[in-house]
Amino acid sequence: MARWRCPSTRKSEPIDHSVPGERLDESASPREWAVRCEGVSVNFGAVRALHNVCLALEQGRIHALVGQNGAGKTTLARVLAGLQMPDIGEVHILGRPIQGGNVRAAQAAGLAMVHQHFSLPPSFSVAEALELTATKGGGAPIYRRRELERRWLAEVAGSCNVSSLSTRIRDLPVETRQSLEIVRALASDARVLLLDEPTALLTPSATDSLFDRLQILRDTGVTVLVVLHKLREVAAIAETVSVLRDGEMALGPVETATTPQGLISDAIIGEGHYESADVAGQAVATGVGRRTHLLMEEVSSKDSAFERGLKNVNLRIDGGETVGIAGVEGNGQRSLVSAVAGLTRIEGGSIRIGESEAAASSPARRRMLGLRLVPFDRNTEGVSRSASLWLNQSALRLIGRRQGDSPIISTRRYREHARKALERWKVRYESVTQPAGSLSGGNIQRLILSRELSDGTEVLVAAQPTRGLDFAATEFVRRSLGELRSAGAGILLVSSDLDELFELSDRLLVMLGGEVVARFVPPYDRRAVGDAMTGARR
Amino acid sequence: MEQILATTLRSAAPLALVALAGVFAFRAGIFHLGLEGLMITGAFVSVAVGDATGSVAVAILAATAVCMALSVLFWLVIEPLRANVIIAGLGLTSIGLGGTAFALAAVYDTRGSIRTDIALPRPVRGVNEGFGVIFSELSLLVWITPLIVFLAWVTLRRSRFGLRLAAVGEYPFAARSVGINPSVMRLKALLIAGALCALGGAELSVGALSSFTENMTAGRGFIAFVAVIFGAWHPIGAALAGLFFGFAEAVGIQSQINISESVPREFVLMIPYVLTIFAVWLGGLRRRRSLEAEAGYAELREPD
Amino acid sequence: MTGRLSQAAVTVILVAAAFGVVALIMGISGYSVTEVFSGSLQGAVTAKGAPSSTVRWAIPLFLIALGVTIGFRAGFFNIGGQGQFYVGACSALAVSLGWRTGPGVLVILLGTLAAMASGAVWSFIPGYLRVRFGTDEVLTTLMMSFIGMLVLQYLTAGPMRNPAGSGQTAASERIPDAYRITGSSGVSLTVLLIVGVTAALIWILLERTRFGLRVDLAGRNATMARWQGINVRRVGLASFVLAGALAGLAGAVELYGPAARLVTGFSPTVGFNAVVVALVGLLSVPGVAAAALFFGGLQSAVLFLPIVSDLPPSALVLLHGTVALLVTIRVRAKRRVAAA
Repeated sequence: MARWRCPSTRKSEPIDHSVPGERLDESASPREWAVRCEGVSVNFGAVRALHNVCLALEQGRIHALVGQNGAGKTTLARVLAGLQMPDIGEVHILGRPIQGGNVRAAQAAGLAMVHQHFSLPPSFSVAEALELTATKGGGAPIYRRRELERRWLAEVAGSCNVSSLSTRIRDLPVETRQSLEIVRALASDARVLLLDEPTALLTPSATDSLFDRLQILRDTGVTVLVVLHKLREVAAIAETVSVLRDGEMALGPVETATTPQGLISDAIIGEGHYESADVAGQAVATGVGRRTHLLMEEVSSKDSAFERGLKNVNLRIDGGETVGIAGVEGNGQRSLVSAVAGLTRIEGGSIRIGESEAAASSPARRRMLGLRLVPFDRNTEGVSRSASLWLNQSALRLIGRRQGDSPIISTRRYREHARKALERWKVRYESVTQPAGSLSGGNIQRLILSRELSDGTEVLVAAQPTRGLDFAATEFVRRSLGELRSAGAGILLVSSDLDELFELSDRLLVMLGGEVVARFVPPYDRRAVGDAMTGARR
Repeated sequence: MEQILATTLRSAAPLALVALAGVFAFRAGIFHLGLEGLMITGAFVSVAVGDATGSVAVAILAATAVCMALSVLFWLVIEPLRANVIIAGLGLTSIGLGGTAFALAAVYDTRGSIRTDIALPRPVRGVNEGFGVIFSELSLLVWITPLIVFLAWVTLRRSRFGLRLAAVGEYPFAARSVGINPSVMRLKALLIAGALCALGGAELSVGALSSFTENMTAGRGFIAFVAVIFGAWHPIGAALAGLFFGFAEAVGIQSQINISESVPREFVLMIPYVLTIFAVWLGGLRRRRSLEAEAGYAELREPD
Repeated sequence: MTGRLSQAAVTVILVAAAFGVVALIMGISGYSVTEVFSGSLQGAVTAKGAPSSTVRWAIPLFLIALGVTIGFRAGFFNIGGQGQFYVGACSALAVSLGWRTGPGVLVILLGTLAAMASGAVWSFIPGYLRVRFGTDEVLTTLMMSFIGMLVLQYLTAGPMRNPAGSGQTAASERIPDAYRITGSSGVSLTVLLIVGVTAALIWILLERTRFGLRVDLAGRNATMARWQGINVRRVGLASFVLAGALAGLAGAVELYGPAARLVTGFSPTVGFNAVVVALVGLLSVPGVAAAALFFGGLQSAVLFLPIVSDLPPSALVLLHGTVALLVTIRVRAKRRVAAA
């Protein structure tokens, strides 16, 4: 069997897998790849999630798939599991082709997936949940509960710390739930186990026992593909690692043991030139007589379902200063922005916007104090897609009390105001009455900026302001942030694009697990920042 | 006393059957507000067909078929065509109420009611003393209602089908991730619900009275829906809630007859509704809908 | 604007489809569709007294549908208009029967305010449970509706029953003529003024105040509204209260106008029909007015029809149901992708 290569591989890195064909020459029975996909592309509307992805993984080993959020890891995992139909491309599991997005076909071929946020219905008992997801076994359409529990007890015993199979899923601790997911995946005799970010919600010790478990499985011949965030974990568990960046394979499967970590983190973060020092120099020059625009002291908040809470975060942003927040997504960035915006209650600490203590203030009051927000997801948090452009543009004028406002407003004035603002921000639109959802992503972001960068901006919180935008729109947004900073506002920039952070930030903070774990000043050391983000260095 | 017991059982059986229908729909994630319409359709068709063919069995089969066909229509509208399930369900109720009244006028040329000679068999007859009176008044459907409840319980709580249905209603992602098509499961649930509504309606018309009157369900479909919530969308819970509401109805009828001044009958009839509000509130029942749960109405209508 | 127009076109087509279905059923049942159609036209528009009858039936539909509109715009399924309408009418009746010697204007004013307040309370309860605890408002408004029906039934059969009335249906005493704002036709300058001013106020509130724009944003995308600093709960609660007050007002107008007394279970489907009217009117005040006139005309036509054809009034219920079944259908261009 020849060394397999993706027909369209354009990577300079050598594909450094020891080839099964060579190893198996003696047996003369060609062994199939555990997972093989060719030219897989997935688009969500205009957003490109995966582009021409090729991947081939050997059997019987532990493979890692890494990449930043939005790089397409979960989408690729779903394609493999048959949950997501690829636009084009082929997927083979253990040599069997999986016809477009068919979960059962993937299962029949021997692949089972453990989902990031788990897929067991919370109100089900353990036995019921296992029975639901079992593709075989059981057999009889009607069961008796005790018999069901007895049958599954054998499967669960030893691998999973469940006291009773009548316990409800929602009452189980996270790690038990996850080991259950693995049990149910293996109960269908899966030969390929796919885990999507299994460590995201686990404590370090639970992570360790998960890894032990995976190694035992590997020793029994199961192929494991695990999506991970932290390089430390990759090094601890995976034999090969593949990197996705912007929907493309940035690094083919390479042996973890022989590949320097720096190469991997470069592949994750991406190369590319960046300037940083000159921007910082300006900040000092204009910094005469400036004051603090945002001050957070010892701010803590609770964990939410999908996101770490904050742990004693301290943060100060002065006028004319941009502070960048780097970090792998899910490490508290969202909690940070929510805390500043007043969308979640904080447990302790103080938040000052301008001269005013705002920790107990309503979101509206904070807006009145000069807080401006570019939310993470422009389509759900930034605009109402069905509402008109002018209404979206005017949203900030709808809150608070203003002196001298008549109770009846002139929507014509609102429209006129919106039209001017949209034109000033070069939004391409036909009519201010068209719905915001009809604009392209870049224009929606311009619409949001036109609203948020209005007069009286004390501090702007910009969360992923350029995600998914094309080159021109990205440049436009970055330039606007720069101008706002020159005008004396404070900017908190949360981004997963390190180039952007390096280019725009006067200081850079790295968040990990809800804490600020490292602080950097220009010139930034990409390697050091990357290590801090992935927890390679604490 | 015997009278109240007999009336309770007779009133409770159709409520329990239709409540079971609601449980099936609810388990699949559908707020089924069309129960009333299906129920009255079942009541009408069984009288009309029974009268025409003289066969109770054919009557019940026809009622079941018509209600299942309407359920398919409902499914088409809410699933492939993605109409709003609440509005469409209320629409189905109006179609049932209006359609049966219309058919009554069009076919029988009457605005009131029609009688038929056929009736469901009454297994226990001719006992005219003591508690025997209670049983002699009950139709076959009332007798087998406990069996149907049991079957529904087995189907929903002790079968793989029931597990899959519950997964679809509670957490469609879980269902999809194991290769279940939620839309098809909802169709199955609605078909079962349609059949159960037909039985409930048939008991009301050919079971208890051997007649059909315009608007004779009088909100029982909604009461049954309340029983679903009240019974925590468990088949036995819903059936017991149906029994309780049947009792309330019996007491209401009795107090109407007796003109007891102490507790107005309307207040007795209010109890289920007030209790339901409490149950829904305390149970923390959030929006559990088959369609996008949180988006506002306009965003729902958006063609994307 | 094109979006609005195409939406209107889709709605018109769906309503026409519902008409087609019902016409087909009528045809199969042996009614002459043309006869029914011309009879409807007479009953709704051309016959003597038809226009005022159309308006008379459109008024309660319109007022309740305005409330439904506010609720839907704010993103809530407040479908309890029927109960709010009933308790409003009952409160108005209580005021006018309780203060039989009062000056007409004052009693009517007081009664109307009482009606609006009680309707608002009836709607506030589910609204508060919804915004505070997330309790499903479809169920609670429905339950409050049934309770409202029973309240009406209790009052008309008990404390407010007309002792001289016949035993058949429970009905209240008639209110004195001094407390009426229309004759039995249900249309007078006063009523038109009340409805017109209300409609204008609601239109201004929704389209020309910051509150109205907040309602719009919060209803379309509550998440976005929260990010913008809008207090979504407060907006939601206000929408419930307003909806209840409008349905209560409809009850008062019905009593002081054409009804003059309350009969148990009167206008039993007006609450549901108002939901249909609001949806067909695309949740805009002028649209709802047009839809209310249209369905009011149908109501009037059905009452007129026995004169020319023997079509039963239930055909209208059937039609309403079919419209409701179809009106929220969404024409989708794309299939949804599998997403979490």
